[in-house]
Amino acid sequence: MGIVLLAGCFAGIIHGTANLAIVEPYLDDAIGIENQNLFASGEEKDTPEFWVEYSAYRNWQKGGQVLAGAILGTSIGALFGIIFAYSRSILPGTHNVKKALVLAGIMWLAIYFIPFLKYPANPPTVGDPETVVLRGIFYLSFIAISGFGVIGFYQLYKKLEKSKKIVAFIGYAAFITAIFVVMPQNPDEVTAPMELVYGFRAMSVIAVSIYWISLGVILGIFWQKIQPDKPIPMRPY
Amino acid sequence: MLPSTKEITISKQPVPIFAVILLAVIFALGLFVVGYDQGHLLSIVQGPEAFDELFFHELMHDMRHAAGFPCH
Repeated sequence: MGIVLLAGCFAGIIHGTANLAIVEPYLDDAIGIENQNLFASGEEKDTPEFWVEYSAYRNWQKGGQVLAGAILGTSIGALFGIIFAYSRSILPGTHNVKKALVLAGIMWLAIYFIPFLKYPANPPTVGDPETVVLRGIFYLSFIAISGFGVIGFYQLYKKLEKSKKIVAFIGYAAFITAIFVVMPQNPDEVTAPMELVYGFRAMSVIAVSIYWISLGVILGIFWQKIQPDKPIPMRPY
Repeated sequence: MLPSTKEITISKQPVPIFAVILLAVIFALGLFVVGYDQGHLLSIVQGPEAFDELFFHELMHDMRHAAGFPCH
């Protein structure tokens, strides 16, 4: 159990560090727009004191980026570990790194990238505080439906003859397309500059993808080395 | 002297159920703290003030946006 948590934590720290390098510039730009809006509305004053306090606060949040990476990474690593333990024997390949990377690819697609296409990441300045719970429910529901959909269609895949297994892939594609159409849109209007929004989303996808690749490689290496599910030879007396 | 025979039994280790439950709890808790907490966890010790302070929301803010969770 320790190796899946450790692998997740390491991959999460890599994710947080990647975010600091490639996503933070977009976050800073977006928060800069929020600050300008605060000055324009009179809620804040553009004073040296404001910027001192703001810098300290942002540095604290940037530190939180890596901490959050470690927590989220450990959390996703725990889920990944459960699924890997149950599916390892049926994943293609003989080496655990390959098996873990295949599973990471499937999970990246099913519970990250497809939900991202429906509900893409947004930088600060986009998002109404009044709708945050609703948006959270939509996003988590889509992830759960897609994830359980994969499990369901895998059960179908197992029952089909070899020549008909493609039906399971087509079935999942049709199912998730229907869910994609039926699920409500993000209710918030995007008012930030689209160049900023698209740049942010691209960097977000790259950083999350780095996490999934790291998780697959690290857990695969750990599993290969320790082999926690290795059969135990028992010699009767 | 009788010839001796050796018997070796291979015992495959099942996935321990307690480990699965513990990992599932870690998954749910970690996901909630980073992606969804709006003062709920700290309100257990801090009271209603936690919903205004939003400590975890603010600390996890940048990752929330970067990982695709809804924020603000």
